[in-house]
Amino acid sequence: MRVVIADDAVLFREGLARVLEAASIQVAAQVGDAEQLLARVRADPPDAVVVDIRMPPTHTREGLDAALRIRAGHPEVGVLVLSQYVETHHAMQLLEDGAGGVGYLLKDRVADVADVADAVRRVAGGGSVIDPEVVARLVGRRRVRSPVEELTDREREVLALMAEGRSNQAICQRLFLSPKTVEAHVRGIFTRLDLPATPDDHRRVLAVLAFLRA
Amino acid sequence: MSQRLRLALALTALAAGLVDLALLLRAGEDRPGPLAYLLVAIIGVSWSFAAAGLVAWSRRPDNRTGALMVTVGLAYLLNGLLLNGVTLVRAPLGFELWFLVATLPEAVLAHLIAVYPDGRATTRLQRLFVVANYAATVPLALAQLLLVDPASLGCAECPDDLLALGGRHPYGEAVLAVSNLLLAVLGALLLWIVVTRWRQTPGPRRRSLAPVALVGVVLLAVYMIQQTLTAVMPSPPSLVKTGLDLAILTTLVLWPLAFLAGLARTRLDHSAVGDLAIELSETLPPGRLEQALARALRDPTLRLAYWLPDRCAFVDAAGRSVELDGEVADDRAVTILRQGGDPVAALLHHAALDDDPALVQAVAATARMTIENGRLHAEVRAQLEEVRASRARIVEFGDAERRRVERNLHDGAQQRLVNVSLALGIARSQVGTAADEELAAALDEAAAELRCALAELRELARGIHPVILTEAGLGPALAALAERSPIPVTVAPVPPERLPPRVEETAYYVASEALANAAKHARATAVTISARRRDGDLVVEVGDDGVGGADPDGSGLRGLADRVAVLDGRLRVHSPAGEGTRITAELPCAW
Repeated sequence: MRVVIADDAVLFREGLARVLEAASIQVAAQVGDAEQLLARVRADPPDAVVVDIRMPPTHTREGLDAALRIRAGHPEVGVLVLSQYVETHHAMQLLEDGAGGVGYLLKDRVADVADVADAVRRVAGGGSVIDPEVVARLVGRRRVRSPVEELTDREREVLALMAEGRSNQAICQRLFLSPKTVEAHVRGIFTRLDLPATPDDHRRVLAVLAFLRA
Repeated sequence: MSQRLRLALALTALAAGLVDLALLLRAGEDRPGPLAYLLVAIIGVSWSFAAAGLVAWSRRPDNRTGALMVTVGLAYLLNGLLLNGVTLVRAPLGFELWFLVATLPEAVLAHLIAVYPDGRATTRLQRLFVVANYAATVPLALAQLLLVDPASLGCAECPDDLLALGGRHPYGEAVLAVSNLLLAVLGALLLWIVVTRWRQTPGPRRRSLAPVALVGVVLLAVYMIQQTLTAVMPSPPSLVKTGLDLAILTTLVLWPLAFLAGLARTRLDHSAVGDLAIELSETLPPGRLEQALARALRDPTLRLAYWLPDRCAFVDAAGRSVELDGEVADDRAVTILRQGGDPVAALLHHAALDDDPALVQAVAATARMTIENGRLHAEVRAQLEEVRASRARIVEFGDAERRRVERNLHDGAQQRLVNVSLALGIARSQVGTAADEELAAALDEAAAELRCALAELRELARGIHPVILTEAGLGPALAALAERSPIPVTVAPVPPERLPPRVEETAYYVASEALANAAKHARATAVTISARRRDGDLVVEVGDDGVGGADPDGSGLRGLADRVAVLDGRLRVHSPAGEGTRITAELPCAW
């Protein structure tokens, strides 16, 4: 698997490359801004890109815009956006804009080396990755008279993992539950929240997040 | 000196007129009716011009109009006396002498009309006319006397033309034709001068000019008719001729009266000073003073500027500075009002008002107290304007500083800590799980601590400046605010368009501060936030169901009020005890 890393912080970029290489992910290139990233992707599309949201020249949302352009122009390339802060608005923008193969994580997550390698693999494989902080904020958000308030703790855990983009199997492993139990929980949640059941993981993430955000 | 001269002239005119009248009465039945009327009319014209001229002269000694009018009057008197004497005594060459003198009043009158109301020729055309006027009249009259049959000049009983060429001689016909043509040209020229000047006369000055111009036009019209008639009909019926002569003379009597009417209209302007005094006796709002002065001086373009000694500058009623240099256009003038030598205010007005500086000064004197009031008011407004500007600078500076600190945190401490956590992660992965459990545990602990530090730093940076607001606008920023709130928040749909950054920031801080208050002090269980457009304003409203009783002078709300005021907006806090709190900010979006 080949990835391109785009970040103007050289030290971070190189550290991340080491981590990915150690997890047998080949880093095809490291670039310092969005222009170079887009050029690299056009010239030789990798399996995935890892991109920092704030990059030169304005240090605002260059990385996000580059990610959206890659998703539009090269849907087969997985995109993982890293940021020092996470906003639901950005997450939704990335998710709504295409069909899977997208991730949005806090930069801190790289501390867990296995986690970040897993995220890159998931987006390269067409899955969706949403930072637990975004999900936790949405799930934990205080509401007046909402069906979310009526979910059991276990159901909430399952809901959060779904929102993070985990598949049923991943949820089983995380929560040490049998596939049947997880499936039952998922069905229960969808019924309770009155969401249309969907087999597609990406659509499932989008539906859950949109519901939580409303 | 000139006063004595005027007295002497007045007595002369009176005496000459009386002598003329006495002669008229003495002649009694001997004289034909029309001639008697003519003579009486001439005395009327003379006195009318002399009297009006003397009034004008005493009011404006530096303007020659008055003197010219007196001259016209005296010329008519001399004309009348001679006509009277000649027809009474029938001395030899009497008619010829009268004929020469009779051209004089008309020449001076034409001069007067051409240079009215300045009293002197200012344009080249005026000078040309005045010279041509005098140069043509006397030689023409002489030529007529020498070459033309007296009968066609109006003296049926006169024996012959002076050169005794006899009857209707071709030279005589030619001279008559040429003189008629010349008079027609002069008349047209005069009409042209009068019309041009009327069109160039600025509005305020037309008022006093109008009566004179009106009668002048009538006079000119009748005169032209007379000349045309004479040209086409060598010997018109005497009734028509006398009628026209009388019409001219009657108009001439009216002309000085019209002049007096013009003067009186200026006097009427002065009576506006009285109206102004009455108007000022009620307290006028400062902005209205300018209108009142404009009305009193009948100059809608009038502007009032107050002098601020501290600033060494003139400002308008709103405290904005006014450049007097910008008003140097030809038709603009500035009158500085002083008190004890120091400027108090300036009137920027139409140059025509300079004709009557006494009126401007009278108006200014009447309004002095109010102007002084207005000046103080303008001073306060100017200071307020400065305070507002400095408050805007403070808020602006604070916001810029917040953005800078957030950026520094992001690119500095946060990035370094992220690097550290990455390094820790790599170290942890190299330690593995088996080798050294204690080291692995220590590294895990450090990583967890670091995660907390980063999370706290993130919230701190966010509190300093919400990047999402500048990046995505008010809607996403308010939604993010609601996500983080410890109490349930409903955000009504926000206008999707981007607004000026200062408006977005202010709206955001209003919502953020109100939400913090609701959570901290109001013990609210639900909050609603709405932001909607209304007539170019953005109206932000935050309502909660808490205990109410919020203190608008608390530091948080006070700071919000400052922010809102910088945008010229309004912040209202409605917080009756026990009924929740509603904070509304109206923010003009024209930034």
